[in-house]
Amino acid sequence: MRKLFFYVPLALFLLLTVFLLSGLFSDPRERESASLNKALPEFALADLMQPQQIWTPQQLHGETFLLNVWGTWCPTCNAELGYLTELRKQGVKIVGLYYELPRDPTFDTPFNLKTLQQDVAQKLQQNGDPYQFNILDLERSLSLDLGVSGAPETFLVDADGIVRAHHIGDINPRIWRAKLAPLYQQWSQP
Amino acid sequence: MKYLIATVILLLSGALNAQELLQFDNDSQRDLYRSLTAELRCPQCQNQNIADSNAIVAVDMRQKTYELVRQGQERQQVLDYMINRYGDFVHYQPPLNRYTLWLWLAPVLMLALLLGTAIYRRSRQPQHNADTKSELNTELDQLIKRYRSKKP
Repeated sequence: MRKLFFYVPLALFLLLTVFLLSGLFSDPRERESASLNKALPEFALADLMQPQQIWTPQQLHGETFLLNVWGTWCPTCNAELGYLTELRKQGVKIVGLYYELPRDPTFDTPFNLKTLQQDVAQKLQQNGDPYQFNILDLERSLSLDLGVSGAPETFLVDADGIVRAHHIGDINPRIWRAKLAPLYQQWSQP
Repeated sequence: MKYLIATVILLLSGALNAQELLQFDNDSQRDLYRSLTAELRCPQCQNQNIADSNAIVAVDMRQKTYELVRQGQERQQVLDYMINRYGDFVHYQPPLNRYTLWLWLAPVLMLALLLGTAIYRRSRQPQHNADTKSELNTELDQLIKRYRSKKP
């Protein structure tokens, strides 16, 4: 009986220690997206470079692709352009979802598509252009529907337009090999 | 006197300019908006609600909450709208399911365990307790007696 009173609290304490220790190494930002295994939300958004072209989810069916949420204002997004361009050369289809910053009518200059296009063209020339095309999410409505919390974020969408994987943060060789490449292989097989 | 007038003017100007940036149809909508922005959690910045945060996503969520409340949506409808997009993470009150059940069960179980242990230990040594008590009582009686006898 005495032994029990010693070992039970000890076991509980060790259990708690292991639990807290594992918490030290877990990433608090890591969580499953609510869009996983759901179809892309409905949208009709203009192309960033050819505004007369309107993209809808149906037009994106037919091929597995990465939907990369980015903006030129976001340093991490600019940093991952190089590696994403490499992936494009390997045959990965990447579509950009341009995440425009909100503007304060009192302090900011009004939105100007020309300036943005020049800015984007310049950034893509400097760092590499991984995108088949860019969808301009000016009001961040599609981003809100997708549950985007910031840039960069990337969604893996299969040929039927279903979101299959989600990654918060930049894509680098390590993340690609460990997390996204296997899923990309799995979902791009017909 | 000059200072007094200046102070009054300053106070008045503040009161006159104090107007809400967001317009609501009625007070219950305003209260709903306030309570929703206080209990919805910003997905970008850890441990802030969307009322406190100025992250882009929090600004957008506040805007959306405002629109939905203005449309006359109920509290639960707005919460469902956000949870559908950002998951349970986004609400500060977790739902009761088989994963979160332990949050409520663990303290109750812990209390039951403690209570059980206490009752068990007590039931093991009742006579012993009584013995020591009577021993202590006789000892105390003797002490009191001795003390009284010393008094003049």
